[in-house]
Parts: sequence; C-alpha cells; structure tokens
Amino acid sequence: MTAGNGVPEQSARDWTIESVPSVESVPSAESVPSAESVPSVGRVPSVESVPSSLSGRETLLSVRDLSVRFRTEDGPVLAVDAVSFDVGQREVLALVGESGCGKSVTAMALTRLLPSNANISGAVKLGSRSLLDLSEPDLRDVRGKDIAYVFQEPMTSLNPVLTVGRQIGEVLRRHQQMRGAAVIRRATELLDLVGIPLPDRRVREYPHQLSGGMRQRVMIAMAVACRPKLLVADEPTTALDVTVQAGILDVLRDLRAEIGTAVLLITHDLGVVADLADRVVVMYAGRTIEEAGTDVLFARHSHPYTRGLLEAVPNPQRRADGGLREIPGRVPTMRNSPAACTFAARCEFADEQCSRERPALLPGPAGHPVRCFHPLPATAEALT
Amino acid sequence: MTTFELVTLDETAARPQALGGRRVLRRLRRNPLALAGLIVVVVAVILAIFANQIAPFAPDHTNFSAALTPPSARHWFGTDELGRDQLSRVLFGLRVSLSVAALSVALSLVVGVPLGLAAGFYGFLDPLVSRVADTLLAFPFLILAVGLAAILGPSLGTATIAIGVGNVPAIIRITRSEALRLRGLDFVAAAVADGASDFVVLRRHILPNAVNTLIVQATVAAPAAIIGEAVLSFLGLGIRPPNPSLGVMLASAQPLFRDGPWLAVLPGICIVIVTLGLNLLGDGLRDALDPRESPR
Repeated sequence: MTAGNGVPEQSARDWTIESVPSVESVPSAESVPSAESVPSVGRVPSVESVPSSLSGRETLLSVRDLSVRFRTEDGPVLAVDAVSFDVGQREVLALVGESGCGKSVTAMALTRLLPSNANISGAVKLGSRSLLDLSEPDLRDVRGKDIAYVFQEPMTSLNPVLTVGRQIGEVLRRHQQMRGAAVIRRATELLDLVGIPLPDRRVREYPHQLSGGMRQRVMIAMAVACRPKLLVADEPTTALDVTVQAGILDVLRDLRAEIGTAVLLITHDLGVVADLADRVVVMYAGRTIEEAGTDVLFARHSHPYTRGLLEAVPNPQRRADGGLREIPGRVPTMRNSPAACTFAARCEFADEQCSRERPALLPGPAGHPVRCFHPLPATAEALT
Repeated sequence: MTTFELVTLDETAARPQALGGRRVLRRLRRNPLALAGLIVVVVAVILAIFANQIAPFAPDHTNFSAALTPPSARHWFGTDELGRDQLSRVLFGLRVSLSVAALSVALSLVVGVPLGLAAGFYGFLDPLVSRVADTLLAFPFLILAVGLAAILGPSLGTATIAIGVGNVPAIIRITRSEALRLRGLDFVAAAVADGASDFVVLRRHILPNAVNTLIVQATVAAPAAIIGEAVLSFLGLGIRPPNPSLGVMLASAQPLFRDGPWLAVLPGICIVIVTLGLNLLGDGLRDALDPRESPR
C-alpha cells in the first residue's frame, strides 16, 4: 500500500490540508426533504443553511486520501486521486460522475475488491476498523457482512447453476453460521422483504427463471442478508427499465428504513440521486470536485462540471431551447495527479490558471466544498 | 405499495421446478437418445457386475471339441480357437473394460481438475501447470505406458494409471480454460464481494459451472480408455491372458479373422454399443444439467 512514486505523496499532503476545513466546519441542516422527482426547472432551494457533510449523523465510514493506481501495460493509470468523504449512519451518499470518473473503483477499493494490479493508498475506516490494513481473511468477514455490494448487472451477477435460495443461503451460512432448514426459511423471508411475490416458490428457482428486476431484488436480498452497516449500490438500476427501476429504488428506501443500513449509491442518474440521496459527492477524473446536500447541489451547485451534469438530464420543458445539452469531450485518463484542473480542457470558464495550478477543495460561494477556481456564483439558479 | 404491483405485472411468473436429481432425471427422460444411452450404460454395467451369475460358462473354460464354432444356440457368440465361450468372455471382458474406463477417467479427473482450476484461477500458477501439461501431452502415450510398466510392472493397474495419466493434460486444459472464463464473470465477482474465500468460489461457483464441459470430456475419454486398454493389453502391458477384456478379444481375434470373423465382430460391436451409449448419455446429461432450458 505504498505510493508508487513521489508525485502522489505530494498530492496527498496537499489534499489533507485543503480538505480538513471543508469536512468539519459546515453547519448542519436537519430537514433535507427528499426530492420527489428529477430536478425541475428553476427549483428554488428549500433549505436556508448549507448542509453539513453528514447532516448531523455519526460517522460510519470515513475515507481519507484514497488513491488507486493501476499498473497496466500502457503504463500507470491513476483512477482515484486522493478522494476523501464520510458516510454517516443510515445516510444515503451518492457518488456521481460520468463513466470513467473512478466512482466504482472508489467503492471497490473500500474492501480491496480490486485486481492485483491495483495499488491502493490512503485510509478507509469503518467505525474504528481500518479496512485497508486488515488481512485478507478478516476482510472477507467484512465483505458481505459489514459492507455489502449490489452490482450493476443483475442478469449475470447470479450463479446460473445454483437456485436463488442456495445463493442467498450461502451468505447466511458464511456470515451467520446458519444451517439446515433455517437457511431456506430466512432466504424466503429476505425475498419477501425485497418485494418478490411468492417467495417460497421463488426460493427454489434458478436465476434464468427470473426477470432482470427480480434478479436485482435477489441481489439486494443477498446483500442485506446479514444486515450490513453499509450497502454499496453500484449503479443498481442502470440495466433495468424505468418501471422496474422505481421498484428497486423503493426497495432500497424501505430497507434503509427497516434495517437502518447506510447506502453508498454510485450512479450517473441524477433522477436516482434526487430520489434517494441525502448528500452527493461529485467525482471527475478520480477527484472529488464538489460535495453538498442533495437539494443544495441541485439548486446551488458551484462547479461547472456539476452544472454540465445537471443540464445533461433530459427535460421535456427545455426542449424549446435546443434540446439535450451535453458536456463536450470525454473524461481524460490520468497517469498521475496533474498540477491542474482535470476538467479544464472541457470547461468554458477555463483560463491559464486552471491548467497551471491544482484547484483545492474549498468552501465555495454557496458554502459547500467545491474544487474550482471559477465557481459559479451562489445566486445561480439550478437550471436556467 | 403500488410500484410493487406494477413491477409484478412486468415480471411474469415462471413455472415452479423440482430440484436436483429428480429434475435431471426427468429431463433425461424427455430426451429419447439420452434415455437410450442411459439404458445401454446401465445394462452394460449390470452385465459386467453380474458376469459371474449371467455367463453360461467360465471365461477360461476350454473345450477343444467345440473350437471355433460360429454363433449357435449353445454358444450365442460362438467359441474361439480353444473352444472358450465368447459370450462369457465378452461379459467378463466388459467388466474389465468398464472398470479400466471408469477408474482411469476418475484418476484423470482427480488429478486434472484441481490442477486445471488452480492454473485457471491463480495466474501465477498457470505457466507452471500449463507447461507440465504440454510436456505430458507431447510425450507419446505408449512410451509413457511402457515407462510406467517398467517401473510398476505390467498389470491392469499399470494400464489404468497410464491411461489415466495420459488423459490428465486434456482435463487440465479444459478445466483451466473453463476456470479462466468463469473467473471473469460477474457472479464470481459478486461472490467475492460477499466475502467468499477462494476455495468457496472455486468449489461453489466455478466447478459447478464447469461440470457440463467435464462430463462431455469424460464421456469422450471413457471409450478412448477402453481402446487404450486394448492397445496396452495387446502389447502385453495390460491384462494378462487368459483373462479377457473387450480390447484383448478384439486384438487376439485378428489372426483368426478368416476362420472366425465373429471373434472380432461381436466384441467390436460391444465396444461400439458401449461407446455410443456413453456418448449419448454424456450429451443428454450435459443438457439435463444445464438449468437454463434454452440456451441464451
């Protein structure tokens, strides 16, 4: 877990200094009503104060200066660049960004679920346990029990030759030492919990007999089988159609209320974010570039990239002025951490400073942390 | 919760299915060819097991007054140059041939599957295991068998081991490529994310998904083992006369083909039928074991 060369250490130090005030010093907002739909045009922010990093919750997971570097045949790739964030108890934190921004790698790195060519540095603490220092057997106890994952592809994430009950049962046997008839009984309960009709029949079926939405529910049932402290949902609805998506989101919301699990939601679907998340961390090219409560982010975002993401949400009411907007260009692949803004090449506000200096993550005009030399003014309306 | 109802409409109910062995058997029954294969194999195994009771004569009982008689009511499969009843010899030969086939295939699976899984799952072991397998594959089978016979002494056991070892590289390669393929699939990643150890991943997720391919390979290897035993016995490296095996009977009938064609033809037909039965059963099993009813 040591840094490969001198550059990242430098960047990590920079980061620690700049990140400290942003995480601790912001006041809290208790009432963050969950948004009912995708962000609407010109929505007025409903909260006066800027939400704190944890909305007043106790910290469950803390990630500090997490960097992930891959050794590849084409040289090193820096996928995650000194990312820090906290997840509170029972909080839903969304990790948002385009494909290739390092969201999934960040999530996988939490329990070292990365291929052997990955080099992870930084600190991940779940409660008082430092996950990156755990041995592989200890880490296996954490996976699926304390931190459980739900992946994007329900169609292929279940073993085709095992029945649903066997697969859920495997987790129960492993982490809860359950045996015999109790396993199937509990598996049936879990299927019921995630809203699968006729659970006592489904439990005996094979994955191919279930639809995509059903399979994703099974995946969620497996994930919550041991009442994990943190559920990592990596684009849980991306592969599903819209009606099924709504059902899956309901399940996640209900589970959070029922078993009190925190959720790290990885997505590029801002509708899902508005629906479910308490707080949002926006990532770009391996760095966090903005962090705010969900409502604040939609209403008073400060980073041009965040605005770009929000504007790229299809909106029928905006069809008049030119249809779907997009952010020109693509996410760059980082070899090392450049002393520049990684978004500069695609940013309309970029000037010479942006390509010469690394912007720090500091409280911006709207009060929440943003990594930009030219943040949007705090008065900026959500989508204009 | 209205959304659930909405979703339920979308997710149509599938037929409930029986579990495990009963389901496989039912599916096997629906496939007439596989069923025929199953019957052939079961009958052959029963005949082999009860050869003692079924055979009308002792396999080494000679009767020179009835030497080289063609098939008749008394000797269904005729007699050989020593007047031994060929039907009895085929039954006992079946016993030898089937056990050599079963044991050698079992041996090659026991050795080859773990090595193949290890090579496919642990990248760092792959070069070592694969090179050893390649070397073994490059070694002519007969040389291997002769070498083994020189060390262990010629016997049926030696022949079985030689055939089994000769089959190991193929098993390693097939298992390795299956492990390599399966290791990259999402459900393996999901199992790891749920805290499964390597052993659990291999045993519960990779091996069961490789079983279909291995069954097919086993049903190809078993008839090859029957022939292999014949070759080795012919060279004096396998079973010793007067004990019969199907292969030995075939081989020893060679010089008498003009005077007693039944001596070669009937054991030959037996080999063909058993082989065919094994292959049909293997194909059917592969389909029946696949929980997906239709290929994706």
